[in-house]
Amino acid sequence: MTTMPSSLPIELTVNGRRRSIEVEVNHTLLDVLRDDLGLAGTKECCDVGECGACTVEVDGRAVNSCLMLAVEADGAAVTTVEGLATDGRLSLLQDEFLAKGAVQCGFCIPGQLMAAHALLAGNAHPSVADVHEALAGNLCRCAGYEQITEAVLAAAAAEAER
Amino acid sequence: MSSHGSGIGASPKRVGGYDRVTGQHAYVADVRLADALHAKLVTVPVARARIIAIDTSAALAVPGVRCVLTAADLPQPVPRFGPQHEDRPVIAVGETKYHGDPVAAVAAETKDAAEEAAGLVRIEYEELPAVFTVAAALAPDAPLVQDPVLRPGDPLASTNVFNQHLVGWGDVEAAEADLVVEHDYSFPMVTHFAIEPHGFIAAPDGDGIAVWSSIQHPNWLQKVLARILGLPLSKVRVRAPDPGGGFGGKQHAKYEPLVAFLALRTGRPVRLVLTLDETFQAVRRAAAAIHVRTGLRSDGRIAFQDIRADYLVGAYVDIADRVVNKGSYPGAGPYGIPAVRIVARTVLSHTVPSTAFRGFGNPQVNWAVESNLDDAARQLGLDPLELRLRNLAHRGDAFIPFDTHADGDWEQTVRRAAELIGWDSPVPPGHGRGIALGIKSGPTTGLSYSTVRLLADGSVIVYAGTSDMGQGARTVLAQIAAQELGAPLDWVTVVMGDTAVVPYDQQTSASRSTVLMGNSVLRACRDVQRQLAEMAARVHGVALEQVSVADGFVRLPDRELPIVEVLKAGLGRLGGEVIGNGVMRKEMEPEHPLGGSAAFFEFNCTAVEVTVDEGTGEITIVRHVTVSDVGRAINPLQVRMQDEGAAIMGLGHTLMEHYIFDEAGRIRNLGAIDYRVPTSLDLPVRLESAIVENADGPGPYGSKGMSEGALLCVAPAVAAAVRDATGAVIRDLPLSPERVWHALQERPARVPLEVP
Amino acid sequence: MQTFAYERPTTLAEAVALLERHGPDARPLAGGTDLVIGLRDRSVSPAVVVDLKRVAELCSDIRAADGCLVIGARTVMTDVIADERVRRHFPALAEAANVVGSIQIRNRATVAGNICNGSPAADTTPPLLVYGAVVVVAGPAGSRRIPIDDFVVGPGVTDLRRGELVTAIELPLPTAHQGSAYTRLTRRRGTDLASVTLCVSVDEAGVTRLAYGSVGPRAFLVTDESGVLADPAASAEAKATVLDGLFAAASPSPRSLRAGPEYRRAMLRVLGARALQTAVERLAKG
Repeated sequence: MTTMPSSLPIELTVNGRRRSIEVEVNHTLLDVLRDDLGLAGTKECCDVGECGACTVEVDGRAVNSCLMLAVEADGAAVTTVEGLATDGRLSLLQDEFLAKGAVQCGFCIPGQLMAAHALLAGNAHPSVADVHEALAGNLCRCAGYEQITEAVLAAAAAEAER
Repeated sequence: MSSHGSGIGASPKRVGGYDRVTGQHAYVADVRLADALHAKLVTVPVARARIIAIDTSAALAVPGVRCVLTAADLPQPVPRFGPQHEDRPVIAVGETKYHGDPVAAVAAETKDAAEEAAGLVRIEYEELPAVFTVAAALAPDAPLVQDPVLRPGDPLASTNVFNQHLVGWGDVEAAEADLVVEHDYSFPMVTHFAIEPHGFIAAPDGDGIAVWSSIQHPNWLQKVLARILGLPLSKVRVRAPDPGGGFGGKQHAKYEPLVAFLALRTGRPVRLVLTLDETFQAVRRAAAAIHVRTGLRSDGRIAFQDIRADYLVGAYVDIADRVVNKGSYPGAGPYGIPAVRIVARTVLSHTVPSTAFRGFGNPQVNWAVESNLDDAARQLGLDPLELRLRNLAHRGDAFIPFDTHADGDWEQTVRRAAELIGWDSPVPPGHGRGIALGIKSGPTTGLSYSTVRLLADGSVIVYAGTSDMGQGARTVLAQIAAQELGAPLDWVTVVMGDTAVVPYDQQTSASRSTVLMGNSVLRACRDVQRQLAEMAARVHGVALEQVSVADGFVRLPDRELPIVEVLKAGLGRLGGEVIGNGVMRKEMEPEHPLGGSAAFFEFNCTAVEVTVDEGTGEITIVRHVTVSDVGRAINPLQVRMQDEGAAIMGLGHTLMEHYIFDEAGRIRNLGAIDYRVPTSLDLPVRLESAIVENADGPGPYGSKGMSEGALLCVAPAVAAAVRDATGAVIRDLPLSPERVWHALQERPARVPLEVP
Repeated sequence: MQTFAYERPTTLAEAVALLERHGPDARPLAGGTDLVIGLRDRSVSPAVVVDLKRVAELCSDIRAADGCLVIGARTVMTDVIADERVRRHFPALAEAANVVGSIQIRNRATVAGNICNGSPAADTTPPLLVYGAVVVVAGPAGSRRIPIDDFVVGPGVTDLRRGELVTAIELPLPTAHQGSAYTRLTRRRGTDLASVTLCVSVDEAGVTRLAYGSVGPRAFLVTDESGVLADPAASAEAKATVLDGLFAAASPSPRSLRAGPEYRRAMLRVLGARALQTAVERLAKG
């Protein structure tokens, strides 16, 4: 039998802030963000990496935090929806989500925003097809897909004008 | 304020939107109570089983476990509840009725401990014969789903038919027709799949209890809990954070009573947040088997509609019998038909209890009836659009003789959809077009109280018991108050979802809130305005009848003042506020088949153009046009969001969604991997939503409810388009590539549709 | 989630030692997109999870070496898709990697994990078969190089022995000019598990290599050396006859949630003909 401890200390950066915490090895990054770090903006739904509600950025890439053990994030830089606004001022992307009517019940929105954020970081001028592909892992049952797409495109355009 | 403006007919940014894009909005799972225990349900891996013994010793031995609750730990007989028929026990008693019916519940200090202990509850059971289909449930020797003891005095108690609803007029048997079109159709079990799984928290609260739930009807839940727990309403506080999607699946109590008992037993707050898989075992839409016989005259006039619809509901009735009744009732459609007979049966089965789901029983029968009309048009050599226009009810027609008369210029809606899809333009080679109409009765009864407080600085707080589950009720109610009381929209706060604070509201369903709660809030604002008029008369020394208040202004004989000026002068140095109350009541009509006539009808026309991959059977929706008669769009952007959302949700059951069962009645495709819903890659190439506005609705400013219409006729429109494109005829959903492919192999020789 | 011990070795020797010590009680963790699901639903219950991401010898990049492209054991789908060399020489692999789950999944899921998971529907297996990939493994007895066709055994089963793990996947650079394509059948256009996967390559010599999966216990590699399939002038009927012969190993399960056997068999023919067409066109384009 193994004598490994059931929890391990990890260090990670969350939304720019260094955090040193002890995590259970069988807890996901999603569990730790929500339950240990109090960052409940990241949502839990399907637990199998299909719905995208738990999407966060890890080292600049969108991932399903439900499919990543928290210990795997040791040393990583994590950005969650709480990290998008600056001093209470919404990012262009968040602003466009509101302006274009992308938000209905809102439960999928943190994940949609993070997937869109990661897209725009790597592709400043996405096409409609690029947006659809980038957000294909983020279900919206209110089905505001058209508005979400419009919002992402508008944010890209607004960023380009800045 | 947003740059969009915020008046009636403008589309300001969603109230509550900021919290949703920053992750700050607290859904029920985000509510954290100190010292809370975590609950986990324990089930058996079959549908119907006799519980022989439950051994909780191993589970109780798991560190951190505080309680393992079974039926034996509850008051006896175990309390039962249900919005129509009190048949659902707090936890399974003696027998499980469907795959997922909880037998025990664990409460522990951590989620991990609860989950581990749940796996250690040993349940000895014997699998019992069960029924999962309409045919099996109706077989003469079928095992009974419900104990007849629960159905005293019910002549159907020894069958699996819970109820039978007959509606009709004219004489179907005597009606003469040149053509009779008769087919069977089926509609699968589908589930809501709100992205927010259901969550429940209960906590002892002084000498009462507080319960948090992602529920659409907090006041209804309060009544259920008060009765089961033997508490006065005032000691049951239901907190209902805005749900993360409801679609009907969060209307009625599910596990709140169970969690309440866990909290009372442990003396601790207890939280139960379902997994997505567990939500599949908590809510679904009724499946249906529908037989339609349509008689037509050679000129395309419908002579009769003879409809038999067997809805397969679950093991407990929930609101399903109402779904069957109300959903089948307008089944003959928005047409003037001399003879109609609709027989709808509520068939119990050993499956997940079906409940309300956007469309409320209409999409099932509409799929069949509109598809049958398409078939009829082809046989008559008539344009399917023309056939519908020839039969469509006009404003004021008593198309359902004993109900609200046609309350819209529906032909306008149909013609707009036809125009947008280019119905009269040639269909590109390989493409096909389809069109269908949908109608749904709005609320038949209603009771919505509201309070509006105009604070001393002119800002406003609205108290309304509606649930904003994404439809945007907060925004619309705030727009109404802002319009009436002259406050900027961002000076209006709407308080919802707390039975200790917010006045009674019957429910958030049937696309009612803009109309019923909207009118209630409008009346509360008018109550405030009346008091302001009195204030103005007093302050300015004029007669009351010389003062009027509207749209944020007080009109005196010689001038017009913003409300806030009159308010400040009227309140004087002590300050204070003006409080208005509103009530909107739609009374029961005992003689009516539904207990009340429709407050309004939702009317939609959907037209689609498709291509079909002849090799694989895959459908591409090239264009999808949805047009709804909304009366007046208070917030056109939100209207578009709801309309498109309903359309895409409709594409889900049309193209891909369905439960798959095994022989033991287990749902094989629980969860997000093998139950497919539309993604951003599954959208129509072009989706267009348009509205017809004639300000002819009963809601504020002429509005009507509209959140379900665009879902009603997606399936028949798409199937008609597939048939138009390929000749393949399909009468079962979903139109999966595999099903379409089979239909392509079996299709009859192409007969081109000739329109004279 | 169930409990397990977590190990994070930093050297290959340590990783091998851990896997050898715990045998079937250990599960290697790469991207975790399959493993974490299994840990949660308890379809796997390892005593130890061995996280390979800190093993110094395991790479996360793609290197050219000795007439090969070498995909590291930690290389994720996203990086495979983006790699110009992969896109140029092994376009069907890029196409397959590009339909594995969503972007979120592809940012974590590794090619090595995809083949080790052993799903008959694994998207990258057919192109790896067609391109003649070699799986490099390390174990207590040293290193082995296993042709992918021998590595893939059955559902959840590979040729890996106790203590062994994949260190890299080698793709021999094509010596002859070839055209290839990957295609698959799903229930919706959005992310989905495939009901049929299929990869085909044709080369200048008229040899067609074809691999198909999700219609049996593993993906199968077949070859047509008659030249019929690669011949743009051959009739559709002639090609269909050859294809039907190649699909003889298909045994789609009647219990599948995703599609019935009749449809799956029919789709093999449809997708086969289409992918072949694309491959032939790509060969002609050069």
